[in-house]
Amino acid sequence: MRTRGAVLLANIITGLALGYTVANIGFGDYAELNRMFTFQDLRMLLAFAGAVVIIVCVFALLRVRRTPGRIHAGVIPGAALFGTGWAISGGCPAIPIVQVASGYLPAVVTIAGVVVGMRLCRWANARYFQLDRGSCGL
Amino acid sequence: MSTYWPWWAGAIGLALVTIAYTLATDRSFGVSSAWDRVVHWRSERRLERLEEEFTDEYALAEALAAATAEHFGTSPGGPTSPQIPHGETQPLEPDVEPTAGVSPSAASLRPVPVVTQAALLVSIFLGGWIAAVTSGRFQLRFDMGPGFRNVVTANPLAMIALLFAGGVLVGFGTRLAGGCSSGHGLSGCGRLSPVSIVATTVFFGTAVAVSFLLWKVI
Repeated sequence: MRTRGAVLLANIITGLALGYTVANIGFGDYAELNRMFTFQDLRMLLAFAGAVVIIVCVFALLRVRRTPGRIHAGVIPGAALFGTGWAISGGCPAIPIVQVASGYLPAVVTIAGVVVGMRLCRWANARYFQLDRGSCGL
Repeated sequence: MSTYWPWWAGAIGLALVTIAYTLATDRSFGVSSAWDRVVHWRSERRLERLEEEFTDEYALAEALAAATAEHFGTSPGGPTSPQIPHGETQPLEPDVEPTAGVSPSAASLRPVPVVTQAALLVSIFLGGWIAAVTSGRFQLRFDMGPGFRNVVTANPLAMIALLFAGGVLVGFGTRLAGGCSSGHGLSGCGRLSPVSIVATTVFFGTAVAVSFLLWKVI
C-alpha cells in the first residue's frame, strides 16, 4: 500500500481517528493535561503509557523493524523546549488543532506560534546548528 | 464527572492508530514532521518536483542502457565480459543494488507527499470536531477554559502572549528534537528507538517540572 492515493487515504483515516481519539481522551482540555503532568490524575498518563506498551508488544510480534536512531545534539535541548511549551500552552502539536475543533478559539494563536517556531528552527538550523535532525529518530 | 474515555480505551485507540498507520504505509507517523513539511510547503513541493524529474531521468537512462544492450546483443544484468557498451550501463548498477538490498525499508525512507501531510492535519481537525460535537463538549469560547484560567492566567492579553510563546517553543523544540509526542512518544518508543526514549523522557520530565511550577508556585 505505497501508492500516492493509498498513502493519502491512510493519512486521512489516521488523522480522523487520531483527532477523535485524542479529543475523547481529553488531551485538548488544559485542566486534564495539567492534572496529568502534576500526577493528580493518572488516567491520561496511563492511556499514553498503555498505548506505548501495546505498540511495543505488537511491533515485536510483527517484527516491525527497529531503528537505532542517533542522539544528536538537538534532541535534549529540543525536547526540553517542547516540554516547556507543552506545559504552558497545552499544545503538542496536534492538540491545538483539536482544541480549535472543540471550540477553544484562542488555540489559533498556539498554532501560529507553532508555525513561527518551526520556521525559526529550520532557519536557525541552516544558519547556526547544521544538525541532521532526522524525523522521530528514523 | 469526567466525560472522557477511561485510560484503557485511550490506550487501545492511540495504539490502534499508530499500528494501523505503520502497517498500512510502512512508515512511522509524526504530527510535528507533518506540520513542518506543510509549513514549508513551497520548498517541499520544489524538492518533490526535483525528485520526480530525477526519477524520469533515471528511467530514461535505464531505457537507454537497455536499448544499447539490446543493440549490441548483451544483457544489462548478464554475466558478460566487459565490453564498451555494457560498461556504459555499469554506473547504474551501484545505484540499483543498495535500493533493492534494503527493501522494503527503502520505501519508508522516502518522505510521503506533502499533500498527504496536509490531509493528515485537516483530518485531525475533523476528527476532533466530530468527537467534540458527538460528546456534547463542543462550545465556541474565547478562553482556554477554567483549567488554563486557574493554573496559568486569567488575563486575556497574557493568555494570548503565553499561548504564542508556548506554541513557538513547541514548534522550535519538536523540530530541533526531530519529533513530538506522536513521532517520538508513540512511534519511536514503540520501536524502542533510543533517541525517542531519551526525547520522550526529557520532554515529559520538563513538562512535569513546568506544570508543577505553574500549579504550585506561579
